[in-house]
Amino acid sequence: MRIILVGYGVVGKGVTTILAKRYTEKIASYGFSPKVVAIADVDGAVINPRGFSPEKLEKFKQKGYPISADPDFGHPSMPVLEVIESVEAEVVVEVTPVNIKNAEPALSYITKAFKTGKHVVTTNKGPLALAMPALTELAEHNNVFLRFSGTVGGGTPMLEFAKRCLAGDKILAIQGILNGTTNYILSEMGQSHISFQEALANAQKLGYAEREPSMDIDGFDTACKTVILSNWIMGKKITLKEVDITGIREVTLEMLQNAAKNRNTIKLLGTIDDNGAIVKPAEVSWTNPLCVSGVLNAVTFQTEYSADQTLIGRGAGGIETANAVLRDLLDIRHKLASKLLS
Amino acid sequence: MKKVIMKFGGTSVGTGENIRQVANIVTHYSKEYRITVVVSALAGVTNKLLEIACQAKKGDEKLVKTFTDELLQKHKETVTSAITSKVLQEKVNQIIEEIIVELGKVLTGICYVGELTAKSKDYVVSFGERLSAPIVWGTIQDHNLETQCFTGREAGIVTDSNFGEADPLMNFTIHLVRERLGPLLEKGVIPVVTGFIAANQDGVVTTVGRGGSDYTATILGVALSVNEVWIWTDVDGILTTDPKLVSTARLLPQLSYQEAAEMAIFGAKAMHPRALGPVSKENIPVRIRNTFQPENLGTLITKEPISNTEQAVKAVAMIKNVAMLNVNGATMVGAPGSYAKVFDTLGKNNINIMMIATAISEANISVIIKRSMLSRAISNIEIALSERGGLVSEVTAEDDVAVIAVVGAYMKGSLGLASKIFDIVAKKGINIRMIAQGSSESNISFVVKEKDGIEIVKAIHEEFNLDKT
Repeated sequence: MRIILVGYGVVGKGVTTILAKRYTEKIASYGFSPKVVAIADVDGAVINPRGFSPEKLEKFKQKGYPISADPDFGHPSMPVLEVIESVEAEVVVEVTPVNIKNAEPALSYITKAFKTGKHVVTTNKGPLALAMPALTELAEHNNVFLRFSGTVGGGTPMLEFAKRCLAGDKILAIQGILNGTTNYILSEMGQSHISFQEALANAQKLGYAEREPSMDIDGFDTACKTVILSNWIMGKKITLKEVDITGIREVTLEMLQNAAKNRNTIKLLGTIDDNGAIVKPAEVSWTNPLCVSGVLNAVTFQTEYSADQTLIGRGAGGIETANAVLRDLLDIRHKLASKLLS
Repeated sequence: MKKVIMKFGGTSVGTGENIRQVANIVTHYSKEYRITVVVSALAGVTNKLLEIACQAKKGDEKLVKTFTDELLQKHKETVTSAITSKVLQEKVNQIIEEIIVELGKVLTGICYVGELTAKSKDYVVSFGERLSAPIVWGTIQDHNLETQCFTGREAGIVTDSNFGEADPLMNFTIHLVRERLGPLLEKGVIPVVTGFIAANQDGVVTTVGRGGSDYTATILGVALSVNEVWIWTDVDGILTTDPKLVSTARLLPQLSYQEAAEMAIFGAKAMHPRALGPVSKENIPVRIRNTFQPENLGTLITKEPISNTEQAVKAVAMIKNVAMLNVNGATMVGAPGSYAKVFDTLGKNNINIMMIATAISEANISVIIKRSMLSRAISNIEIALSERGGLVSEVTAEDDVAVIAVVGAYMKGSLGLASKIFDIVAKKGINIRMIAQGSSESNISFVVKEKDGIEIVKAIHEEFNLDKT
C-alpha cells in the first residue's frame, strides 16, 4: 500500500517510526507492506515512487527540517496539493496541525485526495469538527474511505469499539472525558488542593498543556471529539457550531471541595443525547466508572440493550496517535482486499 | 431576522419592466427578511440555447454569430429598461458582453467538433441563467441595496456528474453554501444566485434537470436553514383545477408536500416533486406567489395540511395528450418477469410510463404514455416481444383518451370516496377505460375518452364543492 504522508510534526514522525519498526518486525508477513512514497510539508516534499526504506525514513527524522532539502528525493517548495494530485498512491495520511476556524489547509488536502481517488487517514480534528457530514458524503461519492480513529481517544479505540463491538445495539447517549489536559488539571486541583492557575502551570511544565492552552481548557478539543462521536457513532449530522461549549477556566478549588463533600468531583464532560451536544464541567460521582484521574480519558456508551459500557485509556500522545494511523491503514487495507476480491 | 429564499421564474424576469417589479418586491421585503434571490433565465432563452446547441452540432458557424448577436441585443435591451443608472447599465452590459463572447466560443467549438455531449449541453444551457442573474443583480443595486452575484457553482452547490439531471451532494453543498453565503446574509447583503446550474466537484458545470431553478431554491433553502422558500411565478398559486376548464377554479391556500407532489402533473405551474425533496426532509415551508400580484399570499406548502377542513378531495386535473397502450398475451400469466420485459422495452426506447393498471388475471396490462410516443411504443413492443410464441400476442392502443386525477391527502381511509367519484362519472353516462390508485391513497386516477374529460372535471369539481371554501 502506497502512502503519501502530509504533515511532518510529532505525529507525522511517529507514523514513519511505527511504519519502519513494524516493517522490520515483518508485519509484511501479514500481507501488509506500507510504503511511504512521499512526505509533504509546508516547505516542500520528498518523493520516491518506489517507497522509502525504513533506514531512509529514519534518516529524514534525524536530519530534521526541511526534509525537502534531501539531494536525492527532495522537491523544495512543491505545494502539498500538487504532491497529493501528482504522486501515485492509495492512501493519504493527513497529520497537519489543527485549525478549528476554517479547518484549512487540511480540508483542502483531504478533498483533493478524495477527488483524485485516494483514501484518507487523518488525525486532524479540524476538518471533521467543521465539515464531517460533508467529508463523509464526499468520500462516499468518490468511492474512497475516510478513517480518523486517532482523533478520539488516541491509542484507545473508542470509535471502533462503539462502531463495531456495539453493532446492532442502539447507542442512546455518549458521555465522556475526552481531553487529557483538562482532566489532568482538574485532578491536580482536587488532589493537591491547588488553584486552576497553578495546576495549569504544572501541566504546561510537564508538557501536558500547550503554551497557548485555549484549545484544551476552553473545551474546543472536547467539543471537536464530541462532534466526531455524534456523527460517526450516533449518525447525528452536526458541526462544531452546534455544540454548546463551556471550558474549565471558571472551575475553582472551592467548587471542587464542595463537590468532594458529596463524594463527587468535577470533570469536563462531552455529552451527546437527544438534547444535542454539550461540553461543560459537571459533577461526577467518585464511584462512576467515568471518574478517572490524570491524563486518562474515559467514555461511557449508554446502549439500549447492553446497558452502560465504559472505555478507559490514555488520550492522545504523538506515538499513540501514530499507532491509531496504523490501525486505520490496516482497516482500509482489509476493506480494500474484500472489495477487490468480491 | 427571518431568512427567505426568493426564486423568480422566467416570466418574472422576462422583460426589463418585470425585473424592476422583482427588485421592488426584494426591496419591500428586505426590511423584514434576509433574502437570497434565485433567478431563472429570461423567458424562452433556455430553449433557444438548446436549439442553437443542436444546430451548432451540424456545423453552421454563421448561425452561431446571428444567434449570439440577437441574444446580446435581447439582454442589452432588458438592461436598458430594467436599470436607470447609466453607470450600472454600463457595468452589467460589460459583464453580459463577456459572457456572450464565451458562449460564442463554446458554440463555435461545438460547430468544429460536431458533437454535443450531455456535458457540453449543460455548459451551453447554463448561459441562460448566467446572463439573467447580472441584470437582476444590477437592478437590485439600482434600488440602493447591497447585493452580490453568484453562479450556482460559486454559491457552493456541488453535484454528482450526472449531466443534465445532476443531484446535489447535499452535505458538501450545505458546508460550502453556509461558508460562502452565510456571512454575506449576516451583513445584510442580498446574494443573487443563478438557478438550475451548479458544478460537480471538479468545477465542471452541471444542471439539475427536472425541477430546475425551483430545485436550486430549495437546495439553498436547506443549506441556509431559511424560514420559507418563496417561488415567485406568474400565477396566484396552485388551483383546484385548470381555470381554463372550470371558471370556478379556486386558489388552494395550503397544501402538504405530498399533495403538492401529486399535483406536479398539473403542469409547469406546480412544483416538481424533485424540487420539494430537500425542503420536505427539513420541514421548510414553500410558498408559491404571483410576482404581478404580490399582495396575494399564494399557496403555502407545508408538512401537514394545516387546513381546518376535513375536505378529502383537494383538486382535480385532466391530463391530455396521452394514449393508452394495452398489451395482451396469455403467456404473460404466471410468468415472473413478464411485465419487466414490457417496461424494459419501453424504458430502453426512452418512453416514460405515466400510469399502469393490470388485473389479477395477468393476461393484460394497460399503460398510459405520452401520445407522441404511441407509435414508437407499439412498434417496439411488437418487434421485441411478439415474435412467434413470444410473450405478447396483441398490442392495441387508444389515442383519444385523457387521465382524470383526483388528489387530496385526506382521501386516505375516506370510505366511499371512490364510489362517489365513479358514481359522478356513471351518472354522466360515461365509460371509464382504466383505473389506478396507489396505496398512498392520495391520488385516484382514471382514464376516459378525451371528449368527455372536461365534463367530468367540471362535475367532480362541483360535486366535491371545490369551488367553495
